[in-house]
Amino acid sequence: MEVFIEKENNVTTARFVGRLDTPASQEVSQSIEPILNDPTGTIVLDCKEMSYISSSGLRIFLTIRKAAAAKGGNVIVKDINNDIRQVFMMTGFLNLFEIQ
Amino acid sequence: MIKKIQFNLDKRKTWLQIAQVVVAAVVVEATSFVQINLLVKSSRQEAALKANSVLSNTEYEIRDVIDEAEQAVKSNMWIVQWCMDNPDSLMSVTRRIVEDTPSVVGSTVALVPGYNKDLPFYAPYAHMVNGEIEELSLATEKYNYPIHEWFIEPLETGSGYWSEPYLDTGGGNILMTTYSRPVNDPHNVTAAIMTADVSLEWLSKRVGKVDIYPQAFSVLLSQKGQVLVGPDDSLLTAFTAQAAYDQVEFDNLKSSMLAGKRGVVALHTTRGISYVHYGPVSRTGWSMAVVIPDRDVYKDVRRMGIICALLQILGLAMLIYILFSVARSWMEYQQTKDIEEKMESELKIGRDIQMSMIPKPLPDRDDLDIAATIVPAKQVGGDLYDYYIRDQKLVFCIGDVSGKGVPASLVMTVTRSLFRNISAQEDDPARIVTEVNNSLMDNMSENEMFVTFFCGVLDLETGQLRYCNAGHNAPFLHTDHVEMMDVLPNLPLGIMEGMVFTGQELTLHYNDALYLYTDGVTEAEDSEYHLFGEDRLGHVLKEEGDAQEHLDAVIDAIEDFVQDAPQSDDITMLFIRYLKDNTQPAIMARHLILHNNIQQIPQLAEFVETIAEEKNLDQAMAMSLNLALEEAVTNVILYAYPDGIDGLVDIEAYIHPDCLEFIISDSGKPFDPTAAPEADVTLGVDERQIGGLGIYLVRNIMDTVSYRYEKGKNILIMIKKI
Repeated sequence: MEVFIEKENNVTTARFVGRLDTPASQEVSQSIEPILNDPTGTIVLDCKEMSYISSSGLRIFLTIRKAAAAKGGNVIVKDINNDIRQVFMMTGFLNLFEIQ
Repeated sequence: MIKKIQFNLDKRKTWLQIAQVVVAAVVVEATSFVQINLLVKSSRQEAALKANSVLSNTEYEIRDVIDEAEQAVKSNMWIVQWCMDNPDSLMSVTRRIVEDTPSVVGSTVALVPGYNKDLPFYAPYAHMVNGEIEELSLATEKYNYPIHEWFIEPLETGSGYWSEPYLDTGGGNILMTTYSRPVNDPHNVTAAIMTADVSLEWLSKRVGKVDIYPQAFSVLLSQKGQVLVGPDDSLLTAFTAQAAYDQVEFDNLKSSMLAGKRGVVALHTTRGISYVHYGPVSRTGWSMAVVIPDRDVYKDVRRMGIICALLQILGLAMLIYILFSVARSWMEYQQTKDIEEKMESELKIGRDIQMSMIPKPLPDRDDLDIAATIVPAKQVGGDLYDYYIRDQKLVFCIGDVSGKGVPASLVMTVTRSLFRNISAQEDDPARIVTEVNNSLMDNMSENEMFVTFFCGVLDLETGQLRYCNAGHNAPFLHTDHVEMMDVLPNLPLGIMEGMVFTGQELTLHYNDALYLYTDGVTEAEDSEYHLFGEDRLGHVLKEEGDAQEHLDAVIDAIEDFVQDAPQSDDITMLFIRYLKDNTQPAIMARHLILHNNIQQIPQLAEFVETIAEEKNLDQAMAMSLNLALEEAVTNVILYAYPDGIDGLVDIEAYIHPDCLEFIISDSGKPFDPTAAPEADVTLGVDERQIGGLGIYLVRNIMDTVSYRYEKGKNILIMIKKI
């Protein structure tokens, strides 16, 4: 799993590539520190190349969402595949995020 | 409130009925009053008739006597005239008069003084003394007859005269009246006065004979107002007889009588009214009165009236008594009815509670045929049963609360709720029973009740039946034969706190069945108190049929047995037939052992991937399985072993024809992930908890998740239908 974070103007984009399983989540939780430190503006979580997510992955998404909510930031989840959408649905995450 | 109104209505009705009886009684009394009044009138008329007949009879008799006396005098007058020249023979004349005339007690011929020069005073007198005729002369110095009224009056008037009554001291010494009449000589000169004495003692016998009423009497009054015959010499005392009187009335009466009038008058005395019937006695100038006290006249009527009134009062009292008895028994009936209704409603409450506890029937399943029934006794006995399916396990129980009625129903409710709550997080029957017992002891420490209870958990995948008995009847096991299950008796629930109940285990195979029941079945009694018993029950259970048919057969057999005898206890039965073909051994597909290192998770993904490929599962299913397994295994890796201690996670995968079974075991500290709190996925961002998603995902993805701790190992079994 790799995460690519880019910041352009007011939009921060985090691109997830690979499986976001439990061990990957432990790495990613460090990679996204910059976002958690400045969760303002629009944060786009690009999931086009993410094939899998576990509960620890969901936890990372929720952490970002909570941080953004606290600072008035806006979180958009982009391009999740159908399997992951199922997981989002099962866990009520569809209601927590703006999905594009 | 309603009851009170009803009572008032009843009361009003009762009073109305009493009023009706009173009116009826008054009518009856009034009728008799009218009758008595008529009787009074006719009694008075009868009294008047009697008095008048006494009056006239007496008058006739007196007249007879008077006629006799007068006649005796008249008929001897010629002899007297003839004897004038020979006065010595006069004595014999008087003697004959007395002899021949019964009413005449004395007689004299008294010469007018100076008529005979030789005998200036001469009066021979014959009179009756003690039945003998005595002769004597009235011409004595002491008697001196010419001064007496009987002598003077006829001499002066020249006609017959009845004297006032007098006590004849010189003669018979008796009360008498005298008829005297002048006797003329051939020259029409009055020569002598001839008399006939009539004894009033004799008259009083005649006149006093008034026996028409006990207190009635008669009075004979002379022309001068002297009492000839009567209870007393004075008319006043005779009439009033020691009672006060009305002076005016009395004076009017007396003057009317002396005037020779005839009539009737009411005389008021303190003893009540007396009716006086009076009339003259002709020729004597006397007057006679018959006095009848009113109370005498009405004595019989009054006695009859009193008897009638008493009888009617008695009758009325009886009527009122009967009415009250009827009213009371009616009210008692009403009260009994109220009590019965109250009891009926309590019984209904008990039944309603019991029925509300019955679980809904399960949807049809091909691995299970289950039927249950509860036939409450009139007074509910507190039977219960329950079953439901959780994680591909049938959790069921049956129980019987000691005691009856609403209290038993309430304990039953508590027991059933505890069973539901505890079994929701615990699938070991022994622990369920132990927990239910402890909670029951907490909840009903003061209660004397206890509950016999049987709890079972049937793993529908494997046929493994774990069960725990708490003093309940041993169920029947229906395999190729019918037998009683081997159960430990244990104590019932609610007796000893902290008691640890021991569970048992057996495996059901295809078409094996369990029959659970309460003692209402085996202790059903016929009218001669014979019990239905386990032998009959076992016999009935041998018959073929599905679950419902078995229960129907038992009910029919009980009904045939008890006939008309009333059902004394609840009859509760639960029939469970296991219909899954679990005889084929599962194929073990894969076995993976991981260390408690999170970095090994990708190996698990590969493991799941190969199984998915083998079973040709689609991408979505593969990912779901992967996710569930990762969550379960992660849980063990992160939490089962202390930090820095190396431990293993064992993952077995079994491929069944219709499902996949994963068994994850570890030797870490006991931890039941199925008992952990689940995440609430409906919350918003702010309230949403970070943790708890893992087990939630496992439960949602897998069809069955169960945990047990056995031989130092945490064992988590997950089943996914495919």
